Amino acid sequence: MKRETAAELSGVGFAYEKEEPVLQDVHLRVGRGEWVAIVGASGCGKSTLVRLLNALLRPQSGTVSVFGEELTEHNAPLVRSRIGMVFQNPDNQFIGETVEEDMAFGLEGLGLAREEMERRIASYSDRLDISAFLPRHPGELSGGQKQRCAVAACLAMEPEIVVFDEATSMQDERSRLELLTVIRGMKDHGDYTILSVTHDVDEMLAADRIVALKEGTICADRTPDEFFADPGLLRSCGIEPPFRMELARQLSALGLFGAAGVYGNTAEAGRFGGGSEADQRRGTRS
Amino acid sequence: MRGWIKRRAAGKRNSGKRLDGRNPVGGPPESVPCPQIAAGRSETVIELTDADYIYQAGSPFAAAALYGVNIRIRRGTLVGIAGGTGSGKSTLLQLLNGLLLPAGGSVRVLDHMLVPGLQKPKLNALRRRVGLSFQFPEQHLFEDTVEKDLMFGPLNFGMTREQAQAQALEALHAMKLDDSLLKRHPLTLSGGQMRKAAIASVLAAGPEVLMLDEPTATLDSAARRELVLLLARLCREEGRTILVVTHRIEELLEVADEWIVMHEGRAVFQGDADELGDRADELDQWGVAVPEPLKCWAEWTARLPQLAALPLPRTAQEMARRIAEAVHQSANRSALEAEAGNPGGLEASVCATN
Amino acid sequence: MRDKLMIGRMIPTGSRIHGLDPRAKIAAMLLFTAALILSDGWLPVVALAVLAAVVLAATRIPFKTYLRAMRPLRWLMLFVFLFQWFGGTGAGNADEAAWAWTFGPVALTSSGLSEALLAVSRMALLIVFTALLTFTTAPSMLSRGVEGLIKPLARRGTGAERFSLMMRLALRFVPALLEEAQTILKAQAARGADYEEMNPREKARLLLSLLVPVTVGAFRRAEELTTSLEARGYRIGAPRTAYRGLAWRGADTWFTLLFALLPIAALALRLTA
Repeated sequence: MKRETAAELSGVGFAYEKEEPVLQDVHLRVGRGEWVAIVGASGCGKSTLVRLLNALLRPQSGTVSVFGEELTEHNAPLVRSRIGMVFQNPDNQFIGETVEEDMAFGLEGLGLAREEMERRIASYSDRLDISAFLPRHPGELSGGQKQRCAVAACLAMEPEIVVFDEATSMQDERSRLELLTVIRGMKDHGDYTILSVTHDVDEMLAADRIVALKEGTICADRTPDEFFADPGLLRSCGIEPPFRMELARQLSALGLFGAAGVYGNTAEAGRFGGGSEADQRRGTRS
Repeated sequence: MRGWIKRRAAGKRNSGKRLDGRNPVGGPPESVPCPQIAAGRSETVIELTDADYIYQAGSPFAAAALYGVNIRIRRGTLVGIAGGTGSGKSTLLQLLNGLLLPAGGSVRVLDHMLVPGLQKPKLNALRRRVGLSFQFPEQHLFEDTVEKDLMFGPLNFGMTREQAQAQALEALHAMKLDDSLLKRHPLTLSGGQMRKAAIASVLAAGPEVLMLDEPTATLDSAARRELVLLLARLCREEGRTILVVTHRIEELLEVADEWIVMHEGRAVFQGDADELGDRADELDQWGVAVPEPLKCWAEWTARLPQLAALPLPRTAQEMARRIAEAVHQSANRSALEAEAGNPGGLEASVCATN
Repeated sequence: MRDKLMIGRMIPTGSRIHGLDPRAKIAAMLLFTAALILSDGWLPVVALAVLAAVVLAATRIPFKTYLRAMRPLRWLMLFVFLFQWFGGTGAGNADEAAWAWTFGPVALTSSGLSEALLAVSRMALLIVFTALLTFTTAPSMLSRGVEGLIKPLARRGTGAERFSLMMRLALRFVPALLEEAQTILKAQAARGADYEEMNPREKARLLLSLLVPVTVGAFRRAEELTTSLEARGYRIGAPRTAYRGLAWRGADTWFTLLFALLPIAALALRLTA
């Protein structure tokens, strides 16, 4: 089952300063409708990688293409309209004085007619359950609410690829889980290709693929259960295995239940409850 | 493991006294003359009695006021403070070193008494002994070298340059940072180093009580764990009292002696991890996510009722060991294993809520 | 912090004044200011005050709120009052005054008092009217209004758009930066440098030390913000549509005309007097 390519990096290299390359010879292909988590210790180039995708940065070597079209100076604005981004700090991505105006800001840039803007604002604020916040100033909202509004503002532009750049890392536990539900919903919705740069284990587990970066190169590209089955890899990426998984591993080490059985099942039941369904759906479509 | 059991025993010894919040252990607070005399693990170093903080215009943190907070914290304990956004947990920390003054009730920290209507007291004597690290490391780093930043506190508290330098070095080592960082510009450090340097800048003044506001936010999970273990070491080996505001109970569960949960300006819970486990249902309505270890333990306890008598294991390893023991003891072990074979049984419970 | 900064916050009541075109309101404010400057003596100032009171009432925002907006400037107003009374122009005409006290070089006269009160009234009216503008107009509308007004002046280029974006971002982020500065002051106080306990020299040094972290913070924010702006497809000069277009209606014309009469009347009054 080979999906249409949403984004592709081939042989990409990037450096802010010549002597210190941030990315080197990166090859990555993301299929339409896929959810790819990009992980790695801080400073490994994760955020740089996604910024290359929508031409916020330009690679020094190699090519970046989005929906088969190579990124150039000329088509950058057009490509950006197909890629939405949600950043870490919701405060610094709010441009409007109210949630409604902030949503409108992006839409104005798309040159939409007023009626269409109204329709989209109504529809996406309803979908993310933020209709009540529309007239509010972002300062009056909690971190989680603000981040939901940022997602709404991004989705209202109807992008095909959505990038979450550590979007959950400043959120409290509850908001983090809430946002994760939102991303899961987007995945189930099926229209979005999702890239999430993250330190969050739950976010990684929910993805289709985990791409790990180390010192500017991709050191692993695996499914979450393969990824989490490799303690050495986890350690090198600065990831602590989640408690549940660790417990299952310890239990099997103590000889409770067949070693492979419990471990494998844990990862699977933890993740594939809804995932396999979505996989099937995707299969029939493509 | 042994260390953990010892800690627990210490916790249990005091829990009876601790829980009836209003009954002071060591007599009325004014009568505590000097912390050195009344030393010992059970000495109360922080005591809030019906403390209120009324929202004051101009304070950007006081999104939530505090109402009738009663808290007592013993010397040398590591206390986790959990709560949702705006629950008042950051406000609470600022009340403890006089950055904010209570509007009602009283706040006693070490031998300092803060009560409403106090003429703006000289607070440096208190602040030297009670350090507060804010959420963003950049807020602590404003000099042009790390060393100067580390010496800022000690110098303000009246130490000589040599003393301050020695203190800075010691704090740097306590946070497991390399000497070579001293001459670096703080803003050239990596995220994790910056966070540790910011904590070291507070530690350099040699506080007896160290308070940290969400020290692990935005760090990756391995760096978070490393930091938590460092804090635990400061508490266990150097006897400091450590208060950590967090929204992730899970990351501190292994090391915290005690928990305080804040909700809408009230301290709705104070107790150890076991007591927290008993009230897991309420956590959600307090705006706090139930930590995974509590969920797992509850699921296993439901399967193996004999586990209920045991204290909550703090690590996955310990929990696995307890479970294994219980399973081996269990007479109906074979039955259990049969159940484990089917996906709806034991195995599913290991991971049901992921 | 946000509580202290009253100006810059809209208070929605849905009044007619809220519904006016921001360009009309800004023009009215400028005309009102001109009239205040031109008006001489109590009669025109009282007339302007009456007009202002009518407009204030029409906003349906409690009068108290306007008084609160004046609060941060109360010391300045007191200073202006005393300065005018003690050393202002009124002091010289001791003979014409109904009463006068003289202490050496200082002469306090009734006419001086009248002048001083007049100066303060002018100032108060100006503040209240500025507050009225920000209370009844969302900042984004305000910046759009300014953009609309200066566009004819800067026909070519993207000056108006740049200015408008700058204003919008400033209105949005200055409070956040002030908040950040305050947190750093707190972090310093926690490490033994309590601003409130310091002498002026130490205070100055401490404030200077804020410069680095606040600037760094501002740059970090600015960087994140530009990334966010770019990621949302914003380019200066790119065609945009307006979600809330400015619509000039009849009421706006009448409102502006009414205010246009003020400086003319004030000037006429002055010339005929």
